[in-house]
Amino acid sequence: MNEVPAIAIRAHGLTKRYANGRVEKTALRDVALAIPAGRFWVVSGPSGSGKTTLLGVLAGMIAPTAGEVELNGRPITHLRDHHRSLVRRNGVGMVFQEFALVAGLSLAENLLLPFVPEGGPPPAVCRQADKLLERFGLAAFARTPVERLSAGERQRAGIIRALLGGAPILLLDEPTASLDTANVQLLVDLLVELRAEGRTLLATTHDLRLVNDPRVDGRLRLVDGAIET
Amino acid sequence: MKRHLALIRFALGSSRRRAGRTVALGGALALVTFAFSAVLLLTEALRREFHLGAAALPDLTVQRLVAGRPALISEQWVPRIAALAGITSVAARVWGYYFVPALAGNFTVVGVDASPERQPVDAPAVVGRGRFLNPDVAGEVVMGEALAGFLGLDVGDAITLPVGKVGKRLQIVGLFRSSVALWTADVILMSATDAREFLQVPAGLATDLAVHLSTPDEAVVAARKIADLMPDARILDRQLMNRAYDLTFDTRGGILGAMLMPALVAFLVLAWDRLTGVGPGERREIGALKAMGWQTGDVLLARLWENAVIALHGALAGIVGAYVFVFHAQAPGLAKVLFGWSSLYPAFRPAPAVTAGQVLVLVCLVMLPFVAASLVPAWRASTRDPLALLRGVA
Ligand SMILES: Nc1ncnc2c1ncn2[C@@H]1O[C@H](COP(=O)(O)OP(=O)(O)OP(=O)(O)O)[C@@H](O)[C@H]1O
Ligand SMILES: [Mg+2]
Repeated sequence: MNEVPAIAIRAHGLTKRYANGRVEKTALRDVALAIPAGRFWVVSGPSGSGKTTLLGVLAGMIAPTAGEVELNGRPITHLRDHHRSLVRRNGVGMVFQEFALVAGLSLAENLLLPFVPEGGPPPAVCRQADKLLERFGLAAFARTPVERLSAGERQRAGIIRALLGGAPILLLDEPTASLDTANVQLLVDLLVELRAEGRTLLATTHDLRLVNDPRVDGRLRLVDGAIET
Repeated sequence: MKRHLALIRFALGSSRRRAGRTVALGGALALVTFAFSAVLLLTEALRREFHLGAAALPDLTVQRLVAGRPALISEQWVPRIAALAGITSVAARVWGYYFVPALAGNFTVVGVDASPERQPVDAPAVVGRGRFLNPDVAGEVVMGEALAGFLGLDVGDAITLPVGKVGKRLQIVGLFRSSVALWTADVILMSATDAREFLQVPAGLATDLAVHLSTPDEAVVAARKIADLMPDARILDRQLMNRAYDLTFDTRGGILGAMLMPALVAFLVLAWDRLTGVGPGERREIGALKAMGWQTGDVLLARLWENAVIALHGALAGIVGAYVFVFHAQAPGLAKVLFGWSSLYPAFRPAPAVTAGQVLVLVCLVMLPFVAASLVPAWRASTRDPLALLRGVA
């Protein structure tokens, strides 16, 4: 019915300056973007161009110096800490460039960690976790402490954890950096399935296997903190 | 409830994951608690000993002073003091310290009139084993349990102690037990006649007079009356002694506390930051938890449980350690500092006495400040941007 799809991720005027001691580093300059709901977009750009910073700001994990972010029509930038935690918990799933796994815990424990403050994962989530572990070839590692896993295995763990929350928006930071081609295909297949469920996907990457995949709906390029047109 | 259980399980897992920190933290807290508890338990135990011992004292003790020293007192004073108003009984006592060169130690010899109608009102006559003295039988003694144990003697044994140049043979007919360790540590009870011989107290004289009052609270009034009657008397008031004793203990405990304080403070300042702070790995972990949607409150609650469990174990270990140190090892070193009398009472064993209240106070004293303080750095970390924490730049 809706000819023009709703905008799931909208940002305007996003600027982020880091204070590196006395030197200031501008990681984002007046970024504006609008990603329609149910689409799969990628952001590419050279190393240090601000991709991680952009995703962090969009996910409510970094406070921007200026600008505003709306997720599914709801502004999140000026929310208080408590409500931003809720956004991170329920509004977005994020795959971290460096995985953000907790060392000393097993793979399975890491996957279910977001559910601890709720008193533990519901059975449906446990079943889904088993399914995804199976799909990504990690079933045998469920009880293995994460620090013993390879980089690619940890990357897949980070992806599974982001998916388990069932968030409508998925932000993936370099999700293929440590993956072989077979696993890249597995991931893109899965992302396409999620898109079919109506979820919105935004991945940063400098991986041409991902950028050039024909199933990607839209492409942005970030250079030195600004969107290149 | 489910949330708390899940967070507690996570917290316990964290303390296992960070075993090094857990052990260092628990150990440090155990040490601090140990130092505090040892002083507290020892002072309290001895205070209790003294009060129990004082309870057995007469209301007033009358001595005679000659040139400032206690001298023997004539038994003729007994009826004259007994005639004063408010006085229920007066007893002449023969007792004193008796030095045994072979043992290089002092006994307290107490003469007892064992006739049933004049049972000693102030002797710790709780006979543990054997029997009490028979009236008018010479050569029998009843000994404190602790002293007998120290000398390796038992009921039925005989000892020969020198009186002047000759030895006097004494038969141990009983051992007495008392809730007051000081009593049993060096006291020998014998007939008044034998005691006079040992202590060289001639007939008609006594060491002091034990006075009991109908109203113990009026001790000051009675003491003044006796002093008027007997200008060279020194009168010891039990209630006054209790108060003076408490004061001494508080001062000594305070001095020791003051000596311990700088060491504790230095230790705490050094250790506090490391122990309560969050290391780089922990900051990353807090960043990860916040990034996946944990609330600051969730992070702090997990932290609280983790530290509370560690602190509780540390504090309890410290208290148990102090208990063993004070009541089983007789506080080597510490007792000497506090009281300086370990040579006087070689077999001194304070009766184990710990109340649940004391334990609770100690545990709270250690746990609350520590747990509260350790939350501050965790709270500071968990209000940073999660991604900055993950990068290790916040
Ligand atoms: N917390 C921070 N403090 C200071 N400077 C930062 C911080 N985070 C990022 N920067 C700087 O901001 C710039 C952008 O960083 P960002 O991580 O967003 O780049 P990126 O595009 O993700 O790079 P890569 O492709 O290598 O992951 C970099 O120059 C980086 O040094
Ligand atoms: Mg990056």
